Order: sequence, then C-alpha cells, then structure tokens
Amino acid sequence: MALGVLLALVGLFRTAPLPQTTVPPGYVALVNQKGLLMSDFIAQTQVETSKPFAQTTPAERSKVLREMIDEELLVQRAMVLDIPETTNEVRGSLVSAVNAQVAAPVLAYVPSDAELRAYYEKYRQNYTGPGSMMLHDLVLHIGGFQNADQSATQAQADATEAVYQLRSGASLAYVMEHFGFVNSGRMDETEQLDFAAKLHLGDKLYAIAARMRDGEVSEPIQDRDGVHILVMVRHQFPKVADFAAVRDRVYLDFRAAASSRATQENLALLRTQAQILIAPGMAE
Amino acid sequence: MRYRGVKRAGSVAGAYTNAKIGVVQLVTTAKMALAVGALVAIGIVALARAHLRSEHMQERLLAALPDAVAHDPSLLNFASAQARPLYVKHCAACHGADLHGNSVLGAPDLTDDVWLYGDGSLYDIERTILYGARAGISNSHDEAEMPAFGLRGVLSEAQVRSVVQYVLQLSGRPYQVEAANDGRALYFGVANCGDCHGPDARGNNDYGAPDLTRNVWNNGGDPQSLYTSIYAGRHRIMPAWRGVLTLEQIRALAAYVYAESHAHTTRALPAGAGS
Repeated sequence: MALGVLLALVGLFRTAPLPQTTVPPGYVALVNQKGLLMSDFIAQTQVETSKPFAQTTPAERSKVLREMIDEELLVQRAMVLDIPETTNEVRGSLVSAVNAQVAAPVLAYVPSDAELRAYYEKYRQNYTGPGSMMLHDLVLHIGGFQNADQSATQAQADATEAVYQLRSGASLAYVMEHFGFVNSGRMDETEQLDFAAKLHLGDKLYAIAARMRDGEVSEPIQDRDGVHILVMVRHQFPKVADFAAVRDRVYLDFRAAASSRATQENLALLRTQAQILIAPGMAE
Repeated sequence: MRYRGVKRAGSVAGAYTNAKIGVVQLVTTAKMALAVGALVAIGIVALARAHLRSEHMQERLLAALPDAVAHDPSLLNFASAQARPLYVKHCAACHGADLHGNSVLGAPDLTDDVWLYGDGSLYDIERTILYGARAGISNSHDEAEMPAFGLRGVLSEAQVRSVVQYVLQLSGRPYQVEAANDGRALYFGVANCGDCHGPDARGNNDYGAPDLTRNVWNNGGDPQSLYTSIYAGRHRIMPAWRGVLTLEQIRALAAYVYAESHAHTTRALPAGAGS
C-alpha cells in the first residue's frame, strides 16, 4: 500500500517533460518540437545541388533548410486539419505506403520455375490471348425506308430463305440485292479483337458470333433494328498462351499475388487488434 | 569497606581500560568508515565523471557531421564500444558476428571496401542503416533489383550459362572463351546488363549494382551461384532501423561499420587526430 501511495505521489508531482529549447544533436532543426534529421538535410541538400555536402554554400544550405521547414510546417498543418480524413489522394498514399512496407519482405522471395508453372496452371484463364474476328453483318430492316411495307414475319421468312441461299453457295451480293439486306454498319469488315467486336455488334449478336467458325452463316437473328444474318469470314478463337510466352507476366502476377496476400494478412491482424462497431442494420 | 574500596578502585581502572579500548575501537571504526566512505565517494565521482564523459562523447558523436566522426579516432573508438553489443543483437544474424557477411542471405561483407550503395563514407553507411534497402519506404535504397532473366523468359538457360562465363571472364577467373563471347554479346544486347552494371562492368553505386570485375560477391561467386543470380534474379532487403534504434545507436553502428571497413586507415591515425 505504501508503495502504491508513493507511486501515486510520484505520478502526481512529476513534472511534464519540458519543451526543448535547443536543437538536440543529430537534428538540423526543431519545428514545433518535431526534429528534422541532419542526415535527411544532408541528403536533400546533395540531391538539390548535385554536389557533395561539403561543397555546398551556406546560401544553398539555407535554401534547402527553409524548404524542409516549410514542408514540415505544412505536414503538421495537414495533420491538424486531419487531411487524411478528408482527402482521398492522401488516404490513398497512406494506404499504399503501409502496403508497400508490408509487402517488402515478401517480395524478397524468389520463386522457382516449378512454382511459377504451378501458378500458371492454376490461373490459365488469365493467360488467354484475345480472339479476333472478321465478319459480314447483314440486316433486313423492318418497315425501313427501303421496304416500308415489310412486316416482321415477312422479314424473318425472307431472312430464313437468304440463309438457305447463302449456305447453298449464293454470293453475298446476290442475297443482299435479292432480299434487300444492307450492311448493318456495326462492323467495318476488318479484323477486330473480340472486345471490339462485342462493343460494335452488341451482346446479342456477339454471343452468336463468338461460337461461329470460318465461313459459317448464322440463323436469322431478330434485333432492335431488324433481322440480321452474320457471315463469318475468319474467326481466331481466344487461345491460352504457352507458359514460355507469358512467363514474364506469370512472374509479375506471382509476385503481385504474394504482395496481395501480405496485405490481406496484415489487414486480418489489424482487425484482430481493432475495435470496429457497425451501425444497426449495416453489415460489411 | 576497604576491600570494597580496592575492589571499587580496580573496577574503575577496568572501566577506564575498557573505555579506552572502546574509544580506540571507535576511532578505528570511524577511520575505516571514513576510508570506505572516501573510497565510495571516489568511486561515485569516478562513475559520475565516466558517465558525464560518456554523455559528452555521446553528444559529440551525434553532433558532429558523419564524415567528421570518421576522422576522429576517439569518437570512432567510443562508438565502436557502444555499437558492438548492438551489432551482435541486431545485425550479426545476417552480416555475421565477424562482419564478413553471408552469401546465402546475400548480406554483404562489412569489412571490405566494396560498397553496393554510396562510397563507404560514414554518411552513406548511416543512410543505409537509417532507411535500409527495399524496405518499402521511399527513403530506402530501391532504385533497381537484379532481374530474373531466366524466370522471366528474357534469356534461355543456355544463354544464362553464357553470361555466367562472361562474368567469370570479367572477374578474372577461368572461363570458356566461346561461351564468354556469346555472353558478352548478350551482356550488351538483349540482356542489357550494362544498363545497371555499366559498359565497363564496374557497377553503379547509385543503383546498388555490383562491380563485376572485383570478384567480390554478396550472393556467391561460384558458377552455380552466378547462374542462380542471373536466372532467378535477386531481391535482397535490408530493414530500415529508423524508429527501431535511436539516432545515437544508429550513428554508433555506422561509425563501427565504418571503422571495421576502414581498419587499415582508421587504425593508422594517431589518437586524438581530428578531434
């Protein structure tokens, strides 16, 4: 008990540490009691002047010191203003800085060939090269200016007949002229990568085109502007790249995945140490 | 009565004798106490002086610019004494108790005059201890890393072997001429090794790219180790000690490493020189 009283008295009468009134050794300045390292000052001076520190002039040193003090003042002000709370760029930088520190030791690990190959096998879909296609997209407008009286049923019947003709060897020009088809204008009849073809054709037509082989003629497809017929000229299907061709990407992905795992583990640890309260009715 | 008187007289004499002995004992004890006290006082004064001197040296060590410390043997000696236990605790696990490094961990030998970053000045050593290498902070040395030429498909296994032969040639060791010629072409060609190691292969201390002509190897210099370095790359890290150790401790460690790596020059300086 006596010891407790003694400790309490010591705590009661102990004075708070006095503010520093001189710059401690190892520092070049104190800004609101926050030290600026002499080593950082030397480094910054050398960077800014491209000279060894010993060869820099007093004026050059003063300029650098002034800049460093200004920066420190603004950083301190940022903390007072709670800038990390309100500015997304600062939050992003802070998050990136923590993740980089967590990932640093993980990135020191050098994977073996076998580990890279196993990673490639596990994520083969990530190494699929884009396919491409070149096709004709014909459309028979319903009630369009070329044939104002044509009904949807009639257009569908004509398109079915046109498909039959095309599959029997009729030329594209003949079918277009005979049935009144026009080029839809969605594809410019050049080879296009899959994503571009999907963008231009629209989801409905692309879903059918994606399964067609060279020379194949689609069934009539009813779309918002009429009945379409697709004639595939050339179709390069997406292909999984050989390991040898993508090993650099595999290597980078392997490391990125390791880094991501480290981030997740760090977050899991932080969560075990944190008190997180969530408002009623809300969930993560 | 007489008897009693004699007896009394004898008793007085005895008491006097006893008192005298007591006084002598007291004086002796007091003298001893004084002597012990004096010794304790001297000890305390000596300790206080040593403490004050240590504090003074500590302050001088940190107040001086790093490169001024390098020219002051008294500071270097003081720092080395301070740093040795710190080194054993924090650094020896990688760099070895004898500071000779560890090629399995890729930890450099700290006793030679070969430096990955900077020129071995006390300032450069201190910067590396402060902020480390690839430690995940922007002040860290992180300009480049040894790429995994084989793993990343830039060079085939045979090409990596050729480059190994060229590196053997560069470092003045026996090599296979034809393969080394192929390796040289790769060095200046597709592998573009000179971008970091330089066209003369003498390295670049800004990037932390080693001099390939000096036959000093952090990750082992035998052909198999060289093959592994080129094929799988190296991404060694050194922790940043700022925030873990105090500035005094970091300065002491930097001075210690400087002294050990410049033993041939620092030990030749007369005591007190530069102080």
